[in-house]
Amino acid sequence: MTLTEVAAQAKPQSTRTRGSVLGAALAAPGLIWLLLFFLAPLYVVLAIVFGRTDPIFRTAVPVWNPLLWDPTQFSYVLSRIVGSQGIFGPALLRTAVFVVTAGLLCLLIAFPVAYYVSRLSGRWKGLLLALLIAPFWISYMMRMLAWVNLLQDDGLVNRLLSMGGLFDVRVHWLTGQPVVVVLGLVYGYVAYMILPLYAGLDRLPQSTLEAARDLGASRFASFWRVTLPMCRPAIVAALLLTMLPMLGDYFTSDMLSASPKTAMVGNLINDSVQSPGQTGQAGALVMLVLLVAVLPMFYYVRVTTRGDVAS
Amino acid sequence: MPAANHSGSSRRQFLLRAALLAGGTPAMVAFLNACARAEETSSSAPSLKIASPDKPVTWDILKDNEPIADGLAPEKSATLQLYSYADYVSPDAVKSFEEKYGATVAVSTFNDTDEAITKIRAGSVDYDVFFPSYDQIGKLVNGSLLRPLNHSYITNINNVWPVFTNPFYDQQWRYTTPYTVYTTGIGWNNTEVPADIGALENPYAALWDPTYKNKTAVIDDWHTAMSMVLLKEGITDVNTNSAADLKIVGEQLTALVAATSPKVTITMYTDVPTGQIGLAQMWSGDIINAQNYLPEGGSAEVLRYWFPADGKGLVDNDLMVVLRGGKNPVLSHLFINHMLETESAKQNFKQIGYQPPQVSMNPDSLVTDGFVAENIKSAIVRPEYYDVGYRILELDPDNDAAWHNVWRAFKAGGS
Repeated sequence: MTLTEVAAQAKPQSTRTRGSVLGAALAAPGLIWLLLFFLAPLYVVLAIVFGRTDPIFRTAVPVWNPLLWDPTQFSYVLSRIVGSQGIFGPALLRTAVFVVTAGLLCLLIAFPVAYYVSRLSGRWKGLLLALLIAPFWISYMMRMLAWVNLLQDDGLVNRLLSMGGLFDVRVHWLTGQPVVVVLGLVYGYVAYMILPLYAGLDRLPQSTLEAARDLGASRFASFWRVTLPMCRPAIVAALLLTMLPMLGDYFTSDMLSASPKTAMVGNLINDSVQSPGQTGQAGALVMLVLLVAVLPMFYYVRVTTRGDVAS
Repeated sequence: MPAANHSGSSRRQFLLRAALLAGGTPAMVAFLNACARAEETSSSAPSLKIASPDKPVTWDILKDNEPIADGLAPEKSATLQLYSYADYVSPDAVKSFEEKYGATVAVSTFNDTDEAITKIRAGSVDYDVFFPSYDQIGKLVNGSLLRPLNHSYITNINNVWPVFTNPFYDQQWRYTTPYTVYTTGIGWNNTEVPADIGALENPYAALWDPTYKNKTAVIDDWHTAMSMVLLKEGITDVNTNSAADLKIVGEQLTALVAATSPKVTITMYTDVPTGQIGLAQMWSGDIINAQNYLPEGGSAEVLRYWFPADGKGLVDNDLMVVLRGGKNPVLSHLFINHMLETESAKQNFKQIGYQPPQVSMNPDSLVTDGFVAENIKSAIVRPEYYDVGYRILELDPDNDAAWHNVWRAFKAGGS
């Protein structure tokens, strides 16, 4: 091997080394963030779930040493999901139904909007996007309080439905109506779906869509067989971005219903945290939500990886 | 080739990780051991002493936590930190105290006393005066969170009903003074619910009447709400430790959700006068306070309240206590004395709706004095109720957990 050959081989090696150091340096903030704000809190939750309760104040006493962990609280929650003692099961199922329904409704609303803004609105694109997001500059709580006002028995919604007093409409919107909670979730989270969908649709290569039409695909066929598959990662990301926060939402149900009939898992967690001696159960429910949330994340990773390979 | 690169960097990574692990393991072991020791120490905490009318408690005054000395001057340029429910201290009464003593008063609020005690223990703010219910006293004293009172500063104690100068939960009022008294009954808005609920054979059962579906509410407090279920079923031990009783409560709460789908809230004082809620389990103070939340042009005439005329219902009282961690113990005593003064107490009653147990405020004259509308005069609390009424007490940890589990099942909403 000549010196030149050795030098030629060594060069990429040193470039790789520099690249790897740079990569590690760039990844460090993210990794530190993950460690401080995900893994460490997760360990705290575990220490509480498997920890003890203060004998006087009934507050959670975290047990940091895994060898001393007590699974009582976790087992309590697990043993009460199904069966004759299944007190948490219906709320978990209800949460799934609410979240899936609200997620799909968000998609139905957000996709056409995002499609129009990204592909058909021309020079109005920026303005439309800003206007769509504008209501969401106001805090979630204020927006829900506004709905509480609108949906009260003598609120604007009932007054509109009564056509100015022609009909006697007295719908009790705010007392345990699942529909109201689902629509509240849709209203609360739909903006978070529009943005990633917009980003995904905006990046679609125009040439591919034109090629589909040139090759004889109808408008519907080109949408169904080209546009939709190409923005599948964006749809999955948008669904995850909206449905995962919905899973832990308790505020919407509290504000728009406050009835046990619409309690979601977020409400169970919130109630447990506030009940003396039950913080461990709250932690156990948090772990359950986490486990459920991790599964679609795997799917997302799979979809995006496949997308990268394909591209 | 990626594989070669991977292999090269993984060797380095391995060495780095091994070094980190070698360095970190002793630290982690030491940390876990330290935590384990802390756990052992905390597990030797004293058990909870529980007061009841049958077993009155005189709390010890410890040597390291004695009352303040007599005749001290109030702290100068101080900010007195109050810790109470929202809308539970009259701004006018606070203002008159500030003017009298040249102090500033800051009010922080909590949603429930469990949350409040957690924050007090955390010690992030040095609250001076706290307004708990009497059923928290065991935790507060056992946990050394209270400062014993020096009675020489609180001369207005003579203004309150005698039952509170030697209450069962704090004999010799060593740590507590009374703040408000209230009953728990049924409140309704006559426009939404024209029937005379109070005239029913069992008024509590109205909350299970499907006629009022989507118009009802129960108080978002596990013990208060579950006690009402027991009373509805004719069980008067509202601190029962019987599994059978709790089973009945669980079944009845499930039936309640099915029958009327009640809201579980503490906002009845605004929701009942506006008609948003027609019929609700209510605290007497909330129905009186509802007079302040009528819609524009509305009349207090629509409000109704029922509590057993013989006093055999839930009767409670809240307290004023001085917190040990507070920085202004003298001002704290003076504030309590100020709130027990008849004029301040009246001012407070007018604005918050919760009745002070003042001897000079004759229950029979509260209507004519304009504090309470005629149609809700049953919300007036009488001293004799405390002889016959049912008191919510602290529960031992096992029973407390059993009660909470029933409540959790209710709040989870069933199928």
